Amino acid sequence: MNFKNIINTESLSFRILTRVLLITVSLFVLTLSIYYIYTRNLIREAARENAIQLAGNIAGKIAQQLQPMEKLPQMVSATIEMGLFDKDSLIVVLETILKRNPNIYGASIAFAPNIFPEKGLYFMPYAYRNNNEIISTFLGSADYEYFLMDWFQIPFMTKKPYWSEPYFDEGGGNALMTTYSVPFYYHTEQGRVQGGIATIDVDLQWLTDIVSEVTIFETGYAFVLSRNGMAITHPDRSMIMNESIFSNSENWEEPLLREIGRDLQQGNSSFSEYNLKNKVKRWIYYTPLDAGGLSLAVVYPDDEMFASLHKMNLILLALIIFGLILLNFTVVKIVNRLARPLVDIAKTAHKIAEGNFNAPLPEVKSRDEIRLLRNAFVNMQQELGAYVANLTATTAAKEKIESELRIARDIQLSMIPHSFPPFPELPQIDLFAELKSAKEVGGDLYDFFLIDKHQFCFAIGDVSGKGVPASLFMAVTRTLLRSIADKVKSPSGIMKLLNNSLAMNNESCMFVTFFLGVLDISTGELSYVNAGHNPPVIIPGDGAVKFLPLANGIPLGLQENYEYPQFSLSFKDGDKFFAYTDGVSEAENSQHQLFGEQAILDVLMQHKSDHPIALIKAMDAAISQHVSGFDQSDDITMLSIAFNHGSANGTPRNKP
Amino acid sequence: MAQEKGYYKDAGLDVIIKHPPANLNAINYLQDGSADIVSLFLITALDARLHDFDLVNIAQMSEHSAVVFVSFADGPVQTLKDFDNKKIGIWEGGFDESPKTMVKHHNLKVEWVPILSSVNLFLMKGIDLMTMMWYNEYNQLYLSGINPDELNTFSLSDYGFDIPEDGLYVKEATYQDRKAELQAFVEASLKGWQYANQNFDETIDIVLNKMRASKVSANEAHQRWMLSKILEFQGFSGDQEKKTQLMKVDFQKALEVLKENNTDLPATAKEITFETFYKPLLIE
Repeated sequence: MNFKNIINTESLSFRILTRVLLITVSLFVLTLSIYYIYTRNLIREAARENAIQLAGNIAGKIAQQLQPMEKLPQMVSATIEMGLFDKDSLIVVLETILKRNPNIYGASIAFAPNIFPEKGLYFMPYAYRNNNEIISTFLGSADYEYFLMDWFQIPFMTKKPYWSEPYFDEGGGNALMTTYSVPFYYHTEQGRVQGGIATIDVDLQWLTDIVSEVTIFETGYAFVLSRNGMAITHPDRSMIMNESIFSNSENWEEPLLREIGRDLQQGNSSFSEYNLKNKVKRWIYYTPLDAGGLSLAVVYPDDEMFASLHKMNLILLALIIFGLILLNFTVVKIVNRLARPLVDIAKTAHKIAEGNFNAPLPEVKSRDEIRLLRNAFVNMQQELGAYVANLTATTAAKEKIESELRIARDIQLSMIPHSFPPFPELPQIDLFAELKSAKEVGGDLYDFFLIDKHQFCFAIGDVSGKGVPASLFMAVTRTLLRSIADKVKSPSGIMKLLNNSLAMNNESCMFVTFFLGVLDISTGELSYVNAGHNPPVIIPGDGAVKFLPLANGIPLGLQENYEYPQFSLSFKDGDKFFAYTDGVSEAENSQHQLFGEQAILDVLMQHKSDHPIALIKAMDAAISQHVSGFDQSDDITMLSIAFNHGSANGTPRNKP
Repeated sequence: MAQEKGYYKDAGLDVIIKHPPANLNAINYLQDGSADIVSLFLITALDARLHDFDLVNIAQMSEHSAVVFVSFADGPVQTLKDFDNKKIGIWEGGFDESPKTMVKHHNLKVEWVPILSSVNLFLMKGIDLMTMMWYNEYNQLYLSGINPDELNTFSLSDYGFDIPEDGLYVKEATYQDRKAELQAFVEASLKGWQYANQNFDETIDIVLNKMRASKVSANEAHQRWMLSKILEFQGFSGDQEKKTQLMKVDFQKALEVLKENNTDLPATAKEITFETFYKPLLIE
């Protein structure tokens, strides 16, 4: 399934969308990352503070219970030292303590050996709770040698108050207890003597309850250790009073635990990482408590504190994705809507290209770039329509002109004699002429006519320029020639009048090179005048071809009253005459090489015996060969006359 | 373990094991008849014998003394000389002859402080020194957070008092009457020890379970230390066959210590010989 078939990945909306999406997503990722990292740290800090606070809280609660209890045996001790109790009232004191302090399980005053001789070795009044009753008794016997028990021996030997290691008291319903002992002294004649120890037994159930109820996040917890590191409370109940932090350190091969235990024994508090083998990353805050010789630690897992952050992230992510999808649709919709006119404009452009210049361009309501484009298209459409209309008109005009030109051509050609032989009844002359104009109409001309029975007039000329102006001038010239020759018979006379007529009102300063000759066909006498035209060629019946000797003269139409000298020549029988315009001598090929006058002479020499028709055709062929397909740039005109003097009787010498 | 694995039963014996409380010595049980066989330190037993109590050694389990004196490395006791004028904790329920004799031997004047059941007095620095079993109390110190380099230990065996300790004792009369059963007992017991040596973890588990059932504070780390050290002291380490032999030289050593410690021995003390005292039941 080609993706491109479903969504045009080249379309504006797709390209805009992918770019917008790229930037938006990058921005989101960046922002989210920064926020996440920052928030994580904040949370971690907050959790740490929280843990420390919590520990402080619990420590406070525990101290709140234990510290006041310390006062009791201290008071008893002080009071005994002051001698305010007598030994028989001690039990009452102890019972009162219990009555007034529900959290105290038992209280005793254990005297040193033989303090009261009448009482014997042991003297230890003791009061304790049994269900709801307070019972008092005296302890001390061979089976209960209290002098050697920790709660007595240690404060006695160290002479300092002592919170014992917690223990399970069978008598107390197997409750977890600890005993606080305060040594007291007597003043005798021997000086200060140790009297014994005052104690209270404290049930630690409430402590266990307080600490066990602590939860931090999901699986965080708190635990309490004794002075020797023994677990007093712990979520894993099997550890209580069985394992210490040090034994667990050995069991689990975790030196970290031993470090923490020893650090606590030094009296230090600390917050640190708590990473045990095969367990999640956790944090621990531990601190010694102010009473009971106990320590407290709170442990909580690292990742749970981020539970709400992760939830938040998921929500954010969902929102972002939803937002992006929405963005997706919106962008696509908007862009498509904006770009719709573009598509319509494109469609209309196609219609215009097909020729429907009136195809309507869609309306664009917005004032934006698309409107600019639409307006430009409208403008283009209008201009195009106008241009095409203009072009059509111009083409029509051009065609009209061309058709008129073709008519003009016909008219012009009809001005030139074009039936050959022109005088079949006059065998003295063989004549052929050819005019090929470069354009439809041109400025070359030739003419020939009989002035009278014996005078044959012929002329060849080349009007300056080309095209319609030259052809008009040519028409004028030809017309004037005919009308002038009607009255004036000498070549120079004709030339002079012709020149004056042309020069008069010649504002355009056009001119015509002209050669005029009059041949007396009875004598063979040729009189001729030249007005700036290429000298024609004489082809004698015998001998080399040569140019007619003449004076150049200026072309007709330039200077009024110019005197053109007249020359004459005798034609013998078999002589031929060849006149041409510069379209022949200057016929050029693609290398811009001119045909040249020598080539003319050569061809004429080659075909000197030919009939004028053949002669001119040969010249044609030579010219064609020379130009070899290159465009004709000037009119080509040729006139050739053959004189047959001896044919007065009627038989032409040369057959065509 | 012999009990657990039914070795006694297999031997046709119905055995009940009793544990005396901390303040009583096992010898009291033997004396008052509550036990037929007791486990005693050699020196304790010989002392009793010297004082006319007719008991005999039927098997010697411990091969070396495991008693040590321990002091804090940063305290006032760094050498044996420093013992002078110090308070030394010593266990109340017996086991005190060797340490006391050693101290007297070196002309040291000390105050012996009786210890009932815990090392806490030592931990609280109420005393400067304390006698401990290497396989027991010494490890309790470690499990209370004290590193070995924070302690000085003075082992009895280093100071010439390497007298083996635990052995099995019965009254002479019992020995005469129930030789066969006693032999069976010793064999089964030995078998039990061998099983424990070869199945260390299982033994630990069983012991822990029993302790928990009796609501006695039990932790694995300590039990592991104890069992491994006891097996060592009893000669179960390595591939050597454990012997339950009492060496005559150890008997002599114990006798000398007692004589030195006791200035008033009854006349019958002179008649105590190795052979009259040691009645091995296993042919080795």
